[in-house]
Amino acid sequence: MKAPEPVKLSTEVNGASFQGEVEPRKTLADFLREDAGCTGVHLGCEHGVCGACSVLLDGAVVRSCILLAVQADGSKITTIEGLAEGEKLHPVQQAFLDHHALQCGFCTPGMILATVDFLQRCPRPTETQIREALSGNLCMCTGYVNIVRAVKEAAKQLKQL
Amino acid sequence: MTQNKYIGKAIRPREDQRFVTGGGLYLADISFPKMLHAAILRSIHPHARIVSIDTTEALKVPGVVAVFTGEQVRARSKPLRSLVPLPVEAPYYCLAWEKVRYVGEPVVAVAAESRYIAEDALEKIRVEYEPLPAVIDPEAAMNSDAPLLFDSLGTNVLWHDWFTYGDVDGVFRQASRVFSDRVVIHRYASTPLETFGCVAAYDEARQYLTLWTNDQRPGQAMPILSHSLGLANAQIRLITADIGGGFGNKRKPPYLVLAALLSRASGQPVQFIEDRRENLMALVHACNGVMDLEVAVGADGRLLGLKVRDIADEGANLLNPTVHSLLKLGNITNCYDIRAVRFEGYSVMTNKCPSGANRGIGKPFMCFALERMVDNMARRLGRDRIELRRQNLIPPESIPYTTPTGSLIDSGNFPETLNKLLSLIEYQSFQQEQRNARSQGRWLGLGLALAVEPSTSNQSSYILTTRKRNASGAAEAAMVRVESDGSIQVVLADVGSGQGHQTAASQIVADELGVDLEAVHVSPFFDSLVSPWLYTTGNYSNKFAGTDVGAIQGAARKVREKLLSLAAHLLNTAREELELMDGVVRSKKDSNIRKTLQELAHVAYRDLLSLPPEMEPGLEGRYYYRPSLANLPDEQRRVRNQLFVSNAGHAAVVEVDVETGKVSILKYAIVHDCGTVLNPVIVEGLVHGATAHGIGAALYEEFVYDPEGNLLTTTFVDYLKPTAVEIPDFKTDHLESPSPFTPLGMKGVGEGGAIPAPAALANAVENALEPLGVRLGDLPLTPERVWKAVRAARKKTD
Amino acid sequence: MKPAPFRYYRARSLLEAIDFLSGPAADGKLLAGGQSLIPLLNLRLARTDALIDLNPISDLSYIRKEGAEIAVGALTRQREMEYSALLAKELPLIAEAMPQIGHPAIRNRGTVGGSLAHADPAAELPCVLTALDGRLVVAGPDGERVIRAEDFFVGLYTTALSHQEILKEVRISLARRPVGWSFVEFARRHGDFALSEVSALLYADEGADRCSSVRVIVGGSVERPLRVASVEKLIQDEVSLGLEGKPLVQLLKQAESYTETEMRSSVATSEDSEYLCHLTGVLVRRALESAILRWR
Ligand SMILES: Cc1cc2nc3c(=O)[nH]c(=O)nc-3n(C[C@H](O)[C@H](O)[C@H](O)COP(=O)(O)OP(=O)(O)OC[C@H]3O[C@@H](n4cnc5c(N)ncnc54)[C@H](O)[C@@H]3O)c2cc1C
Ligand code: FES
Ligand code: FES
Repeated sequence: MKAPEPVKLSTEVNGASFQGEVEPRKTLADFLREDAGCTGVHLGCEHGVCGACSVLLDGAVVRSCILLAVQADGSKITTIEGLAEGEKLHPVQQAFLDHHALQCGFCTPGMILATVDFLQRCPRPTETQIREALSGNLCMCTGYVNIVRAVKEAAKQLKQL
Repeated sequence: MTQNKYIGKAIRPREDQRFVTGGGLYLADISFPKMLHAAILRSIHPHARIVSIDTTEALKVPGVVAVFTGEQVRARSKPLRSLVPLPVEAPYYCLAWEKVRYVGEPVVAVAAESRYIAEDALEKIRVEYEPLPAVIDPEAAMNSDAPLLFDSLGTNVLWHDWFTYGDVDGVFRQASRVFSDRVVIHRYASTPLETFGCVAAYDEARQYLTLWTNDQRPGQAMPILSHSLGLANAQIRLITADIGGGFGNKRKPPYLVLAALLSRASGQPVQFIEDRRENLMALVHACNGVMDLEVAVGADGRLLGLKVRDIADEGANLLNPTVHSLLKLGNITNCYDIRAVRFEGYSVMTNKCPSGANRGIGKPFMCFALERMVDNMARRLGRDRIELRRQNLIPPESIPYTTPTGSLIDSGNFPETLNKLLSLIEYQSFQQEQRNARSQGRWLGLGLALAVEPSTSNQSSYILTTRKRNASGAAEAAMVRVESDGSIQVVLADVGSGQGHQTAASQIVADELGVDLEAVHVSPFFDSLVSPWLYTTGNYSNKFAGTDVGAIQGAARKVREKLLSLAAHLLNTAREELELMDGVVRSKKDSNIRKTLQELAHVAYRDLLSLPPEMEPGLEGRYYYRPSLANLPDEQRRVRNQLFVSNAGHAAVVEVDVETGKVSILKYAIVHDCGTVLNPVIVEGLVHGATAHGIGAALYEEFVYDPEGNLLTTTFVDYLKPTAVEIPDFKTDHLESPSPFTPLGMKGVGEGGAIPAPAALANAVENALEPLGVRLGDLPLTPERVWKAVRAARKKTD
Repeated sequence: MKPAPFRYYRARSLLEAIDFLSGPAADGKLLAGGQSLIPLLNLRLARTDALIDLNPISDLSYIRKEGAEIAVGALTRQREMEYSALLAKELPLIAEAMPQIGHPAIRNRGTVGGSLAHADPAAELPCVLTALDGRLVVAGPDGERVIRAEDFFVGLYTTALSHQEILKEVRISLARRPVGWSFVEFARRHGDFALSEVSALLYADEGADRCSSVRVIVGGSVERPLRVASVEKLIQDEVSLGLEGKPLVQLLKQAESYTETEMRSSVATSEDSEYLCHLTGVLVRRALESAILRWR
């Protein structure tokens, strides 16, 4: 079979614009890792269940392993690499750091980005809401306790901003 | 004298900084120009003869560079070595040869320009199989007419042996009651979020193989690799970077061999990374098994003796069978003073994914069986389950205590662990709470389990299996170097896989050298070319406290000694008059008499003629630390299987919805004693994580095979990991009983949570349903199983 | 775990998408949120020569009140429904079900149309929409047609859509408002597809003390949303506003056992069907109980 035609893609990743072509079947995750150099996008399952590949697409958290790169046409993407402002960590990153809300770090980028989306929608969360909001992100290391603590703290910090 | 500025402090792990910004360097992030990507065609049969393989069409796919079958790897490599020498060498390679033995077994490998193309090519491969009868149940596999996985072995039983410690027959004769039970444990796995992977780059011109991997036991991978590939150890460089979780699962020498062969054939670097389906089908499952347990009890309730018959279902595991049985000798009597034990073990092969190391190895099952039995006995004896436990605990004054199997409980205070646990879970007030709930038709229960947590392997499983000294003892290595600018470099052999080893190492080194934490740089890489290492090198058996600390400390002390000697020479002072503090060697009497680390390093590396004539230049300490407790089995085959013993108590309050069978955890308390705590932040995190694994195993996770041997749980949609909703908040408390035998009094911490959690939860569910007389069967306690157990109990009473 | 190759077509309008389907992408599949389709493509459990991406169609994403009807565009993201004040007010049953669909990241992409067209019997929306007697507006080369939800879900992952048709819109009448409603689901973990789920709706005339009609729809372990007619009739005949205490408990128990019976005749019997039939009975009882409470 003849390889399908590549498709034009124009997108913005962490503020840098990308104009080019991609193979239609390439997932957004692979595009971000391989073409945009964002290796903080992790692949934990590639079938949409673990959340490790989460990124913000026009501000909303999505799983980049079950989106095609071509679908990001005309969108703005933020990966974990683009979250901090220069040296200054995003309050969610800072809270994860302060509460040791990670061990191996593999789930961390996805967890942080899911939290960013969640706290935009729900600035004063209860513990139950936090747990439900993060239930699509698996962590095999921490037992989630410190993650929940970090999200609570991040909510407080964000409110003060 | 060393300072104690950092040891014991809640220091935020330094690794976290790079992880919150996406700066981790994991295996998938390692990439080279011209690198190829491998994909593997896997068996769809549990057991079949390979009649033919046609790869012609796959080779024609544009972008495909190399395709290998079992025949081809057999022509290019020697069989993979089992860590436990078997009676007959079983011909087993990195790809199936002649036969497939489980669904998911690698059959053909393709290396192509991208993983996409490699997967396209897999679809063009034609394999003709002749299906063979498969054997799934371990007991069926033991029958003489069972289908054989390896004809050359003549049996599926890889190992069968028995051990008698103490007067077993005597105590069973004297016993006023003997309780027996049959306990089954299922297959599950810790499934690190990062899957297994490697990048092999074979350099033909230099005959040199560089392998990047996230294999957590590089020390053991190396000899397997060099044997299979016919390369000297000195021709192989093994490197690991950040590892996205290990938990014992991340070891797969066959994939390393395969990637190396593909690289050698193609002349290009080759990356292989399991996808999640491959990970769930074929990396490793915790060993399932069946255990017959008998306990002899005296008239006063004293536990007198145990008989255990353990059948370990190794699946198609030839790498390290027997360890799943033999490690149970380390916790067979748990924290109880039981003086007579018989253990009979079988390692049996079946047509399933290879069993392998998984957080706790065998010990969670042993603890589950005994702690469930204790509750059971208490009920049948009409005794209180807490009091029955308390009566049988090893008294603190008997510690250090040698168990009948030769394990040394080096430290601990079990009654205190239990007391703390009861107060943490508010045991007293729960009784009332439970009564109130019951009167409202709510089924609350409290369950607890105690556990010993032996850590730091002594490799005695090998010796106990074969009576040959294939390997023995325990050790780890580390290097500390004061660089020529005075900066401090630490190179570890065991870099960990998320346990904060770099932070812990910097705490130790900073205190030994009297410098600020920030001055210590710990490499996140294991590199066989740079790191000192040995066969026991790697991240397993919870051995950081047992061996790694000693290595780090030893290396730092070597450097310290040299700094002091050099300064003594330069300052013309007696060595004893000097101390190393705040990055300066100075006189204890006059602090103006001093040399900074920079000044000393300058001499050691550049101004070489200022060195004492007999002194070797450089400021480098390499240390291979070997704990003195390691021993060989004695004539009665008693041995310290694992060397240092932490302990834990878990208690859970659950609510059971008897209509749906759903179990909800309302409260969970953990008391943990791992001796001296080097860094409470790290310790607490590990305790949480391990407990979550135990909860997953108890309530959610299960690899399900149908009777024909097909695996039904090959995605994270079917294999259920607990999420933040299912895992409760944990209340934790610590007890610090330092080990007299480790350098800092530390003991293992990574497995403790996984060992007692399943028993605590099952005990809690049974306690909740006590009035209905419910007896639980297999794990995990799915809603359906719990509901069926309730229904069965109700039918009985009707 | 990478998808096999396919061609890709961006549809800018519904008409263009229909043209693709009957032209260059005749063997293709429609791509909406991709939250069901892409995992299947990644796993190579599904394959297609071409994908027609509906996302660029900008005018198919809306939640509107049109007279006495709510209209929801097929490309409306599940997250928009979850947070829609209009739905919360007009169709609280939907609002109750939405947060139970997967996880926030899934709902951010997953669409209403995709979920309905995918027709997973364990999904929430097919069950809820059947209960609400929704209608699906479908566009094809020969124009549009309207299909009642009950007729739309034909079987396991199968709908009444022909290959050349596209689901365009969902319409729900507000002419009759339920006095009591409830959506109850049981899943192994939070966010999982339901093992079993129930939508219950009670309708009664203003001031009346009995139900004029009742709808009880079951999803999960069935092939398609299942109306539990015997329970609907039972509740309609027997429930009154004043019914409480033991008689109510007994009635609900009866509903539970009717459900089990109906389930037994409609699911394939197997080892676990026993549990699922029982579970569904329990959920029906609980859903009715909470619907009745809301009526009061
Ligand atoms: C981890 C995870 C958990 C989930 N949990 C749940 C859950 O609990 N409950 C639940 O309901 N869902 C769940 N989902 C699925 C999710 O809701 C999907 O979004 C939904 O099933 C499909 O919608 P989509 O827009 O993503 O469709 P797609 O995946 O794009 O398409 C699905 C199918 O519908 C067809 N299709 C799409 N749009 C149209 C249209 N307008 N007309 C005709 N055909 C069309 C496609 O061709 C395809 O065959 C989960 C998904 C994931 C990955
Ligand atoms: S990798 Fe995308 S959800 Fe797991
Ligand atoms: S920190 Fe390892 S998976 Fe979360």
